Amino acid sequence: MTRPLVVFDKVEKSFANFMAVKPTSFEIAQGEFLAIMGPSGCGKTTTLRMLAGLEAPTGGEIRFDGRVMNDVKPNDRDTPMVWQSLALFPFLNARENVEFGLKMRGVEPAERRKRALDWLERLGIGQFAERNVAKLSGGQRQRVALARALVTEPKILLLDEPLSALDAHLVIRMQSVLTKLQKELGITFVYVTHSQSEAFAMADRVIIMAQGEIAQIGKAKDIYRAPANKFVAEFVGRNNIFEGKVKSKTGKSLNVETPLGVFQVPAEGAPSTAAGSPLSFVVAADLVQLSATKPDAANVVECQLISEQFMGTTVTLFLEAKDGSEIKVQIGQRELETINIKNSAKLYASWPETRAHVLAG
Amino acid sequence: MKSGSVKLALYAYVLLAFIFIFTPILASFVFSFNSDRFPSLPLGSFSLKWYVTIFSRPEVMEAAVTSIIVSLASSVLATFIGFCTAYTDYRYQFMFKQAYLALAMLPPTIPLVIMALAMLSWLAQIGLSGQVISIIIAHTVLGAPFAMAVIRLRLNDMDPSLEAAAWNLGASEWRTMREVVIPFAMPSIIASLCLTAAVSFDEFAVAWFVSGLNKTIPVVILEILQGNVDPQINAIGTFVFLISITLIIIAQALMFKGRKEVSAE
Amino acid sequence: MASERRIDLYACCFRAPLLIWQSLFFVVPLGFMFIMSFWLVKNYRMTPAFAFDNWAKMLFWEVMWRSYGYTLGLAALTTAVASALAFPAAYVLAFRFSDAARRWAIFLLIIPFFTSYLVRVYAWQVVLAGNGVLSAFLGWFGMEPVSVLNSPVATVVGYMTLSFPLVLLLQTISLAAIDKSLIEAAHNLGCGNFRTVFAVLIPAARVGLIVAALFCFILSFGDFVSPYYLGGSSPPTLSIMIVDSTKSGQQWPRAAVIAVIMIMTLISIAFAAVTLAYRRRG
Repeated sequence: MTRPLVVFDKVEKSFANFMAVKPTSFEIAQGEFLAIMGPSGCGKTTTLRMLAGLEAPTGGEIRFDGRVMNDVKPNDRDTPMVWQSLALFPFLNARENVEFGLKMRGVEPAERRKRALDWLERLGIGQFAERNVAKLSGGQRQRVALARALVTEPKILLLDEPLSALDAHLVIRMQSVLTKLQKELGITFVYVTHSQSEAFAMADRVIIMAQGEIAQIGKAKDIYRAPANKFVAEFVGRNNIFEGKVKSKTGKSLNVETPLGVFQVPAEGAPSTAAGSPLSFVVAADLVQLSATKPDAANVVECQLISEQFMGTTVTLFLEAKDGSEIKVQIGQRELETINIKNSAKLYASWPETRAHVLAG
Repeated sequence: MKSGSVKLALYAYVLLAFIFIFTPILASFVFSFNSDRFPSLPLGSFSLKWYVTIFSRPEVMEAAVTSIIVSLASSVLATFIGFCTAYTDYRYQFMFKQAYLALAMLPPTIPLVIMALAMLSWLAQIGLSGQVISIIIAHTVLGAPFAMAVIRLRLNDMDPSLEAAAWNLGASEWRTMREVVIPFAMPSIIASLCLTAAVSFDEFAVAWFVSGLNKTIPVVILEILQGNVDPQINAIGTFVFLISITLIIIAQALMFKGRKEVSAE
Repeated sequence: MASERRIDLYACCFRAPLLIWQSLFFVVPLGFMFIMSFWLVKNYRMTPAFAFDNWAKMLFWEVMWRSYGYTLGLAALTTAVASALAFPAAYVLAFRFSDAARRWAIFLLIIPFFTSYLVRVYAWQVVLAGNGVLSAFLGWFGMEPVSVLNSPVATVVGYMTLSFPLVLLLQTISLAAIDKSLIEAAHNLGCGNFRTVFAVLIPAARVGLIVAALFCFILSFGDFVSPYYLGGSSPPTLSIMIVDSTKSGQQWPRAAVIAVIMIMTLISIAFAAVTLAYRRRG
């Protein structure tokens, strides 16, 4: 593997009275699309701003391309950013906005004009080059911001919730623009967002942050299937979380006692297999099977339908178990038609033992 | 119709309030073209003699030149100080910031006659009284709070990421000031120049105390008022009014335009 | 920001101009004036001293206290009259005018600040004089000519010339800022128009109304033009005394004493006003 482009080595940031980012270490590879995700106030934006030099770390070391960056001023770094507010210069037109970075680097007017126009053309807004940015639509302004950041041909692009102000249909369009661009350019994207769908749709790897710490880092699929802890399981959503106590161990399985009965889960990954020790496990909503008749399976929960939510061709069913806890089941519409849910007073959610994932923390 | 007549009475009342405000302004305008030395009703004949009088008096012309120099210089200084203060307030948090801002906003709350006395005694003490520069110094003090207020209002509309975006694209702080903050604030900077020039152009109390022999236009008016009063005051007043109102309209138009640009985003 | 950890040159460059200029030419002059109030005048020349002569002279001078009472009274009267007269107009501007019409009205209210106050006072002189415009106007209706000039009434008219547009402007702005649903709620609860004004509008706009009144008081209290050229300077107000003892009497230290007394009065009144404005209700 090549040398990582960015290294965060026990980096921390404390403000006057609180710790925004606790000592954190991770690496970003060349050409990687990394998403940093988490609820607001989790430290994701602070992490990004430290990378851009807009916040100074209060501990640890940030290395970029092998060089320690802690004391490098923001204007001496090559870490362009696409801002949540876009931060386009309102007194300049689209082309002048794109030219800004080149102008600061002393590129000749004719040259920078050409390069700016090339980029605007490439992003499909060449005809708006001379237009005041205030008169552009949200999507067009987004592209100006992208062009402005990319025109200097950086090794890395930082994006701070760039799509949060766009309408839903534009978000999907811009997502594909971004992923395509990233593949073509082969440069590193660091993308901060609170939106799970954006992060999972685009990123090669995702960092989930909570309260200034990394809660989990890994591929989107791994985070979804195997959340490291309860926070991640809840944050990712679509997970059914069960809490209980270990009852006994049989072979590679554990019997776990919960308010809903005893369930069998794989023993692998459990913090303790001793009888009586607390244990939580999750079952992803799309791995749960639903039937109107009681199936012959080890892990069954009897429940009632509360509501349904349609999203494209999949349906999320919200059910209530007998102790009042919520069970989520995600199935295809086609599949739903085969179950006679409307006329069934009782439904049965079940899953094979291997589909359960034991939480380590 | 009770509510109809109440409504009429309310509107009539507003009209009355505006009549009170504009009576002296319109009266002085009308009297400036009136031949009578002591105007009354009915008005005398139309005459330009008061205008002829002021143009034939060299001291009025000298005062006009002094006024222009003073208002230009003090508006530039006051706008510079106001801009720096507004930017500091916009960008930084620091200890004693409240006191700093109080210092910036306090001068208009001190009666001008007291400012005049304090200025005169201090400037005389340090050998700076009785000169054109004395008036410039005083008017800068009086104008800076207005400049600060106008420019601060504009900076309110500046996205806090805008400066950071410029640094991020390779501009140093000073370069960002030149390429981003000043262009953004430009409408308010010009508005502030107009406003502080107008403040200076009208101020008489402090100017009268510290000016010595370098009279400004309002000081000349004050001296006419003390001596042989005649309607040439109105003629001068009409000129001052035209200049001031032009400056104010420019300032207002620029501030309005600035707001519209930002809100269009 | 990364640059805020150390004391950086850039930040200082923007902080310094105000500190330097307003210290040198605002704070120090006022401080010096206070010091000067203890100086002595010998043979028409000021000599540094630390003497209470000026203070004793002024504080035990009956004329000065009569002027003090007169100035305070007239300024308070003007404040009350201007606030009361402006309020109905501000109410109409704030609630009965469209936004566009109100913007025009506010623009018109700004104009007076940039017409010469001296010229306006002179215009009042002409209008209010015994043989002036007002008398002639009244004559058309068969009324006796009146001479308002050289009376406290003319002084108040002059003070109002200075302060009324400002009071109306500030009142309009603070009333217009009131949430309209507050008024609707009051109407909904059966509060009549008139009661709404006292029960809802005045409490809601209290800070703005008090600030307007305070500025009116400051302007009237410190003005020397109206009481001199409209009021006839009898008795003189404090500001006229400052002008006289500075301009003709060469008694700067005594003028400084009056100025310090005026500032202390203004500070107490401003403090009272702010306390009143931000006092908790109930």
